[in-house]
Amino acid sequence: MDTLLTAEIVANSPRFRRKSSIFVDAIHDLPEKADLAPAQLYSTESGRLFHSGRIVIITVGLPARGKTHISVALARYLRWLGVKTRIFHLGDYRRATIPFGEDMPDDYFYVNATAKSVLLRQKIVRKCREDIYHFLNHENGQIAIYDAVNPLASGRRSLAKEFAKHDIETLFIESWCDDERIIEENVRRVKISSPDYVSWKSEDAVKHYLNRIYSRIPQFQTMEEKDLNYIKMINAGERLIVNNRSFGYLSNRIVFYLLNLHIKSRRTYFARAGVSLDADSYKADASLSEQGEDYAKKMTARLLAHREEEKQAMIERGETGYESRPLKVWTSTRRRTVETAKYFHENGYKIRQRSQLSQLHPGVCEKMSEDRIREEFGDEVAKHELDPYHHRYPRAESYHDLAVRLEPIILELEREQTDLLIIAHESVLRVLYGYLMACNAADIPFLEFPRDEIIEIVPESYQNEAQRIHIPDLPEEIIPASPEDLKIPVPPSGVVSPTQGLGSPEGQATPQSGHRTPSGIRTPRERERISQQHVEDVV
Amino acid sequence: MPIANFGTQSDDSKICVVMVGLPARGKSLIAGKAMRYLGWVGIPARVFNVGSYRRFSTPQPQAGFFDPHNEEGERMRRAAAEAAMSDMLQWFNTGKGVVAILDATNSTKDRRRWIYEKCTEAGIEALFVESICDDEDLIMTNIKEVKTTSPDYKGQDPEVAALDFRNRIRNYEKVYETIDDDEKSYTYVKLINVGSTVIINQIKDYLSSRLVYYIQNIHIKPRSIWLSRHGESEFNLTGRIGGDSNISERGEAYARALPELMRKSGIPDNTKIVIWTSTLRRTIQSARHLKAETGYETLEWKALDELDSGVCDGLTYEQIAEKYPEDFAARDEDKYNYRYRGGESYRDVVIRLEPIIMELERSENVIIVTHQAVLRCIYAYFMNVPQEQSPWMEVPLHTLIKLTPRAYGTEEQRFKADIPAVSTWRGKGTSAKHQEFPAEGKKEDTETKN
Repeated sequence: MDTLLTAEIVANSPRFRRKSSIFVDAIHDLPEKADLAPAQLYSTESGRLFHSGRIVIITVGLPARGKTHISVALARYLRWLGVKTRIFHLGDYRRATIPFGEDMPDDYFYVNATAKSVLLRQKIVRKCREDIYHFLNHENGQIAIYDAVNPLASGRRSLAKEFAKHDIETLFIESWCDDERIIEENVRRVKISSPDYVSWKSEDAVKHYLNRIYSRIPQFQTMEEKDLNYIKMINAGERLIVNNRSFGYLSNRIVFYLLNLHIKSRRTYFARAGVSLDADSYKADASLSEQGEDYAKKMTARLLAHREEEKQAMIERGETGYESRPLKVWTSTRRRTVETAKYFHENGYKIRQRSQLSQLHPGVCEKMSEDRIREEFGDEVAKHELDPYHHRYPRAESYHDLAVRLEPIILELEREQTDLLIIAHESVLRVLYGYLMACNAADIPFLEFPRDEIIEIVPESYQNEAQRIHIPDLPEEIIPASPEDLKIPVPPSGVVSPTQGLGSPEGQATPQSGHRTPSGIRTPRERERISQQHVEDVV
Repeated sequence: MPIANFGTQSDDSKICVVMVGLPARGKSLIAGKAMRYLGWVGIPARVFNVGSYRRFSTPQPQAGFFDPHNEEGERMRRAAAEAAMSDMLQWFNTGKGVVAILDATNSTKDRRRWIYEKCTEAGIEALFVESICDDEDLIMTNIKEVKTTSPDYKGQDPEVAALDFRNRIRNYEKVYETIDDDEKSYTYVKLINVGSTVIINQIKDYLSSRLVYYIQNIHIKPRSIWLSRHGESEFNLTGRIGGDSNISERGEAYARALPELMRKSGIPDNTKIVIWTSTLRRTIQSARHLKAETGYETLEWKALDELDSGVCDGLTYEQIAEKYPEDFAARDEDKYNYRYRGGESYRDVVIRLEPIIMELERSENVIIVTHQAVLRCIYAYFMNVPQEQSPWMEVPLHTLIKLTPRAYGTEEQRFKADIPAVSTWRGKGTSAKHQEFPAEGKKEDTETKN
């Protein structure tokens, strides 16, 4: 058990979970295994990479400026690179310290608060800071993200000084906004979904919430401290101001990532390509078969219908913004994926072909049966079973190679502001899904995307959520991890292939061999929702 | 059947990087480096230097030429800018170009608007990169650098040249307009005092963000980078590749000679140097005496480890040719992309070296003690060696290479330790043996080239 979180916090923090299933974003889980992260290029004994030392990233900004969103996104990316990162939301500590049902004192954020409030504030911050030290000093942590308002320059300076004493660098990230529309959109999205605002009209709720923030945090100083390392993000990434006193590799890398990040909410859909004529051959790059055509048609119809339903639901709820959510389609440059997008093209959607989205290269095992691979490359199969994520068959790519190759796509995925459908081979979907849902690298080769489901990733500010949209009326034989897929990873011996898809109509967990199944697999269409408690939460 | 004809196929947007800044602000250095970096990662890039167009008509102009009131000068500079722009657009039209770098002062809003409109018309994104500097020492260092290396002052008295150059800068200062809020709809990066403050505005695509990331890492302070392979290893003696063997006796002699060799190569007074090695024994051992004698800080990088030769690790080339004949041939055919079974290709090494390159750009004086393949990749980055050549380059043992970045290219010097060692070089398509590098390709000791 993790020593970091006290029982008190666990009990009081409804969002804290030790272990998630692979259907739930694992960004807040604490990785137990010491495996390499998906795109990690190398490992070191200390667990720290790039000779970068330990860094505390400290967020700065009023509520509803997307701080939590930035923290979570950054943690996702850094972990994907293999940097051991954890987020410490000060709000979680406050909730754990202030008894349930009690509100925090009105003057909690005031500069001249009462002694009682100051003491409470100090107690909460101290607890959080102790946990950060523990993570960085005793758990090989490299980056701690300290997510709080930090409204005053004096407070920020003393934080920097305090961490410097422990030989820990600080990097402040401020999210600053003067575009009212962005702020209101943020409030609407993440702050007013609570029961407190149930019967309120959306704009009244936004106004009420914002007034509350401004009266509670009357003083906010934007960062001008030339002696501190900081990145100021203006209007959700329109402009970045970087004050570089002593940036290391990782800090510059963070700037790079932030240049591609925005705080608008948009969805990502994943769909498989249709079945092709010469399904076994990688080199042939064949066109869709008749069944493939049929699939493309049905998949398109289903997704468009789903989006239409959502739009109607939004209109009924009196929400706006659905018109600002157009859909773009990305495919690989391989024929099957491009042709699967045909009906989107006919419906006037923009299609973009991306060569990096090509499937995992099968190498010399192309077109070989599993038996033959076992016979000819017995030792490779053995190695593969030990580490299916990093192992490469002769001349082939490993999942790790694929992840590194997909990094530009990941950054462009973050950059994209409209809804996005990615049509690609299952191997590519595994890696992209692995990034968005913070999957453990070891689980990635075993993620399954049956053809009768479109995956929809819905971002929430605290975590991403995956849902599966069923495509009805598809012939059984094209649904599971289809015959066109090379047996890479080669399933462990004794497993009858093809394995049944996770999203099989019965909604059963796969009967895949028990020792491979990642723990906590959930039935596919069950949706886990973790309630957001942001209203009490001024920070 | 042809591939479906819908959907855009080009992955990258076309970008024109427009340098902005007074003379001696490191613009050419940034432009040259950005081009090399892009080429190294496989993105076709080219610099269009307006000054070199202007030099056709006025090879060595006086400062007065740059006076904004000098109509003739103004007209000719405008013509040079137009010629550069038209060549650039032509280059994009060939379909091969992805990033063009327009290297000039581009010091007025008018000029920038003209460039912006020209680019937009042609479907090219303009990314303005302004370098601002008010650190007088730094500017003076840059002036000295330029006056000795710029073609404008070739063969002139350095003192006269420096004076003329200061006057030239004053003429530019008269009309210089920094990028401000009038231009807030442009994509731009403003680097203030060598990147201590950076303002990044309206980045619209991934490639621009990646370029900005790179530019943020570079600095324009003068420095040198020393490269050395490890001393001869026990594996080298038996012709085996890879492994983690100790250095041989002769390798140890090289390790002992390295501090003196460094001194001989010329280290400016009060220079702090950092030693980088891989995590393998032979590089750590090779740097041991240098570290002990000088007290330089040492960093071990996993990313500097030798190209992983997979199943071939620990074999000789002869054994590889025998056991894996097809692989042996395939490697000769395309050595850059060839990946050893279970190991790495040169392309893989370049990917894992990117963090090293970024860190190297951020650092000042560094000596890197590493391995043949890794050194070839790093060398290729600094010296702009094309991908198909870099894996075949000769980098002999017991030789120290000193690279000094200059505004108009990287200067290279080689210093031999005069300690014999085996050759570990093998020519393309030759038998499976290490051999001597052909004499005509050999570099003279301490040869300097631009």
